[in-house]
This record gives sequence, C-alpha cells and structure tokens, in this order.
Amino acid sequence: MLQVKNLKKSFKSGDTIVAAVNGISIDVKDGEFASIVGRSGSGKSTLLSLLGALDKPTSGEIKVDGQDITSLHDRELIKYRCQRIGFVFQGYNLVPNLTAKENVMLPMEFGGVSKNERQKRAQKLLDQVGLKADKQKRKPAKLSGGEQQRVAIARALANNPKLILADEPTGNLDSQTGEMIFDLLHSLSKTEKTTIIVVTHDQAIAGKTDSVFKLKDGKLDKRNK
Amino acid sequence: MNAVTRGIRNAFRNIIRTSSIVIILGLSMGLALSMLIANKAVGDKIVAVKASVGNTVTISPAGFSNFSQVNNALTTSQLTKVNSLAHVTQLSENLTDRLTTIGSSQTSNPFGGGNSSSSNNQTSLSSPVTLNPDSGGGGGGRLFLSGGGGLPANFSPPISIIGTTAPNQINGTDITISSGKSINGSLDSNNSLISQDMASKNNLKVGSTFAAYGANLTVAGIFTTTNRGASNSVIISLPAEQRLSGQSGEVTSAIASIDSIDNLSSATSNIKTTLGSSADVVSSVDQANQAVQPLNSVKSISLYSLIGAIIAGGIIILLTMVMIVRERTREIGVLKAIGASNLRIAIQFMTEAVTLTLMGSAIGMALGAVAANPITRLLVTNSTSTGTPGVGGGGGPRVGGGGRGAFGFVRNNFSSIHAAVGWNIIIDGFIAAIVIALIGSGVVSLFISKVRPAEVLRSE
Ligand SMILES: Nc1ncnc2c1ncn2[C@@H]1O[C@H](COP(=O)(O)OP(=O)(O)O)[C@@H](O)[C@H]1O
Ligand SMILES: [Mg+2]
Repeated sequence: MLQVKNLKKSFKSGDTIVAAVNGISIDVKDGEFASIVGRSGSGKSTLLSLLGALDKPTSGEIKVDGQDITSLHDRELIKYRCQRIGFVFQGYNLVPNLTAKENVMLPMEFGGVSKNERQKRAQKLLDQVGLKADKQKRKPAKLSGGEQQRVAIARALANNPKLILADEPTGNLDSQTGEMIFDLLHSLSKTEKTTIIVVTHDQAIAGKTDSVFKLKDGKLDKRNK
Repeated sequence: MNAVTRGIRNAFRNIIRTSSIVIILGLSMGLALSMLIANKAVGDKIVAVKASVGNTVTISPAGFSNFSQVNNALTTSQLTKVNSLAHVTQLSENLTDRLTTIGSSQTSNPFGGGNSSSSNNQTSLSSPVTLNPDSGGGGGGRLFLSGGGGLPANFSPPISIIGTTAPNQINGTDITISSGKSINGSLDSNNSLISQDMASKNNLKVGSTFAAYGANLTVAGIFTTTNRGASNSVIISLPAEQRLSGQSGEVTSAIASIDSIDNLSSATSNIKTTLGSSADVVSSVDQANQAVQPLNSVKSISLYSLIGAIIAGGIIILLTMVMIVRERTREIGVLKAIGASNLRIAIQFMTEAVTLTLMGSAIGMALGAVAANPITRLLVTNSTSTGTPGVGGGGGPRVGGGGRGAFGFVRNNFSSIHAAVGWNIIIDGFIAAIVIALIGSGVVSLFISKVRPAEVLRSE
C-alpha cells in the first residue's frame, strides 16, 4: 500500500545543508505493522512527517495506494491528512482545553462527520482503547501519560485511516505502560486492518513488528524480516 | 463543538489573563466611546449654536468694552445710513447707562469704571440683585472688590438703564410683558419697562412712578425674562434715554437685521464701509464662529482621543492575539497534523478575539455611558474658561449693551450640552469593536498559516 522511492529531504540551517532523509526507498504492505529504528538524528521523524504529508520532500516519490502524494495540492493534502492518516506522537499532543472525548471527535469534525455520529464513534473508540467512561470527560491534564496516549490512539483512529504513523509513542512512558500501549497498537492493526508504522528506540518492541527498517544518517541501513 | 464554540471556550482558558485583557480593552473602549459621544454632543451643539444665531449684524463703537462703556459713541445720524442700506430690514439702536441708587454708598465703587457720562445718574430704585461677596458666584455673578473688604451695609449695585428702539428684548433675549404694555422705542416719553424682580423689590405696579436722572419715570409694563442679568434693567425708549442722560444723538450699540442669511456677509461689509473705522461691525455668524471656537477645539481633541483610543484598543487585541498564537504554536501544528485547514483554525482564533473584544466592549459601554457626560463637561469647561471674551464670567451687574448679547446666549447654551448615549452609538461601538477584533486576528491568521505541522514531531 505504501511505496517510497529515493526520497530526499534536506534542511538549510545557516550555511550548511542537512540531508535529514537522503535517498530512502521502502515498501510497506497493506495491514503490515512496521517499525523504524535508528539513532537520534538518523531521520526517523523526518521520514514520518513526509509519509504523513506534514512536510514536502525535496525529491523522490511517495505512493499511497498507487497515488503520489508529493504532487497533491494544499486542499488535497489537508484531506489526505484528515482521512487517510492517523498520527500518534511521543508527547501525546492532545488539545489541552478539550476533554478526552472532544479530542477524539476533533478529526471527525474536520472530516465533516455529523455531531451525533462523532459522539457515538468517539465513545466507542475510547471504550476500545480502554479509557473508562468517567475519564472520557476529563481534560488531558487530569489523565496519566498512558491514558493520554490511549486517547491519542483513539483520535488517530477516528476517521478510519488506512495508515497510522506513530513517532516514539512509548518514549515518554515507563516500560510497562509502554508495552501496554504497544500491544494496543498491535491488536488494533489486526482488528482494524490498519497499516501501522511505528518509530521506536526499543529493540524489544521493534522485534515484535512484522518488519523493521533501520535508518542511519538519513539512509536505509538494513531491513530486517 | 466546532471552531466557533472552541474559540469562545478558549477565550476563557486563562481566567486571570482574560480578565486583565478585558479590563484594559474595556478602558480603551470606554474612552473611545466617551470621546465619540463628546464629539457628537459638541458637534451637535456647534450646529445648533450656528443655526440659532439668526442673521443680524452687531454694531458697536470701535474699541468698545464692557468695562468702560462710555467712549466715543455712535450717533443716530451715522446709523440712519445703515438703516437705508440694502437688505437691512430693521435696525435696533441702544444707549446703555448705569444708575446708582440714591443714598447708596458709592464713594468707592467696587466695580471700578462704569461711571456714567451724566453726573446726575441717580435713581430711586434699588437693585433686586443681592450680592454676597463671600460666595463668589452667588447672587448675580462673580464680584471682585478692589482693595478687598466688605460692602457697605446700604450698598445697592448699579442698575442698568437701556434706551432702545427695540424694547422687546434685552441683550438679544426676548422679554415677555407680564402686566401693562410695551413701550414705543422711537417715541420720546417717560414710560418705562421694569422687570418683575425690580417691581417686587421696589413695590412698584403698572402706573407707579420712580425717579431717574432727576425726572419721574412711569412704569408702563412689567416683564419677565430668562436672562438673569436683565432683571436688573430698566428699559425706556432710545430718544428718552438720549434726552435724560444728556447724550443727544448718541448710541452705544445697534443691531441690524438682515433679510436673509445669504446676504449676511455682503450686508456686513456694506455696513463696515458705511461706518468706517468708527465702529466694530460683527455679523451673528462671525460672532457664533468666535463663540464656538472653544467648542471646535473640544471637538478636535475628542476626535483625536477617539482615534487614539481605537488604535490603542486595536493594538491591545492584536498583541494579545499574537501572544496567544505564539503560545499555542504546537497546538496549531497538531490541529493541522490531524486535518484542520488554516481557515478553520483562523476562524477559531478570530472567534476568540471577537469574544474578548465583545467582553471588553461591554465594559467599555458601561464605562462610556457613565463617563461620557462628566468627560464632555470637563472638556467644555476647561476649554471655554480660557476661551473668547464674553464666554466666561458674566452675569448680574454686568449688563452689557445689546451687542454683547449673543455671546452670553452662546455661553448659557454651553452648560446645556448633554452627551447622550444613543443606541446607534452603542451599535457603532460594537461594530467598531468587531472590526478591531477581526483586523487584529486577520494579522494573526498570517501567523497561523506559517505554522509548519511537521514542527509537532520535533523536540518533544
Ligand atoms: N526543520 C528542520 N530544520 C533543520 N534541521 C532539521 C529540521 N528537522 C530535522 N532536522 C535535522 O535533520 C536530522 C534528522 O532529524 P530527525 O528526523 O528529527 O531525526 P530523529 O527523529 O531520527 O531523531 C537531524 O540532524 C535534525 O537536526
Ligand atoms: Mg525523532
């Protein structure tokens, strides 16, 4: 479902040009649960932002279901981010002034889902990720890190995306909670038949995924499995 | 939940900050509203004053002043030429003098100056004006005693006697005959008009007589008037005053009525040419312009303050929104990353700005409604007290010639300036507030569109 060819992204910082992603080509199959590993600064987040159309590559090609997303116009990009992609961040990034449920409803509002439908689905998703009913009405500050990440996962699933991109989703959590979150993602990839690409430092986590892409200096070092 | 409700809710996200912004904004909006109201009130008054002065030309001897009333007077023969000029429909001529009460201590006249041309200018009348030197403005006007000290026990202020061809007014203010009848201003007779106050003070009725200039004058009519100073006046015909005071053919002031306002300026210059340098000729429009001069400065002060306050309000909301957007860059990035358009986010922030501004305006409206009148008064009093002669002071014993009437009229009207808070002003205010908020957040939309969603993935 995902084909990346010779993807490059460089940043200018001062006089020097940093090639954050420097010619990466990967393939991910439909429903695959893949992980990206590599040292800090190896280009993992940059690659993810290109896949999620948060940024435009300097060159190269990203095909999702055969469509090249690098040539999309602004309005189509917004639609792509809204409908096809679900993002999970290391720092959860919930909107602080909204309750857990309202956070999950947000992408559906952007996608034009009716209010009634949004409420029903948000509740269902929060139940599914294991957030108890009384906590669904809480604002993020009143939830633990693990709970916030569950809400973030529910939010990522809101519009039934084809692809979930998670950037170190367990990075801020203790190992036990991290494992629970990872297992949640893992099981969702099976039940929802969603393709998931997760960036991680944790070798143990990476070991459980269908495929592992190891990056080094913006290049694909090796592919395991 | 949509962008608008989120915006409203975000306006209350930080209560302490929201309150401070709303209060500061409220103060600037309140100032703006007060200034708008003051500006409008003063503007209306200027129009009203100009519209009400009529089309008359005031003629007084060159260098005339209220404090040395008698100098080179005009003469009836000079004025006859004026009467025959084109567009002059009527000419009212006045000769004013002061009478002192027989037996009253006048050895040191506390008014200085003002001695009549006649050595014989005494009357049996006592002035109805009571003077209280301890409370400056009390009885009939502010008095300053030269050399200090109290007034003699039997002191009576001088009485104004006006010989006029138009005995239907004093100082430009119409009088109403409450009993008896009016007199013929061109006919030499000893008939007179006195004020109601004067009549009661001296126990006079229609038909009673009193002494003046050593002659006996008859009360032909008793009048009432809204002009405070006029109650201290006696009105007789011009020829009678000329005869009694021994100023044959002389006139201290005259008012020419012109047939239409369009001919006023041409008629004024014709009169000037006719009389040459011996007279000061001022049209009612010139007079009104001169009189509303301080109001004009109040009008521009309030306009500049209004603009200043609106700009200040705009800057406050703009800076607030810039601060809020910078603080929430990550949140904006997240919204973009999960599929929000720039427009949707901008609407959310605009709603927040409008909400803050509307709350500020509500406070501003309340402040403006309360403060508009005092501020207007303050502005008008401060600038008119240093304004043109004849605008400040005045009152009681200082009954000038007819020529100074228009100034008194205008001054009296200044105190009646009322700053009203109308619905249209409030609606204008709210619209201005929303425009300010939208401009403020319009700039902010630019910031919003510059936020890169990819930044959300960095430095977590
Ligand atoms: N917006 C940017 N401007 C400049 N340099 C950047 C930017 N984003 C990433 N980089 C650089 O690109 C490289 C890869 O960064 P990143 O993809 O965040 O690595 P990782 O997520 O693997 O730690 C780093 O050297 C980083 O400093
Ligand atoms: Mg990273």
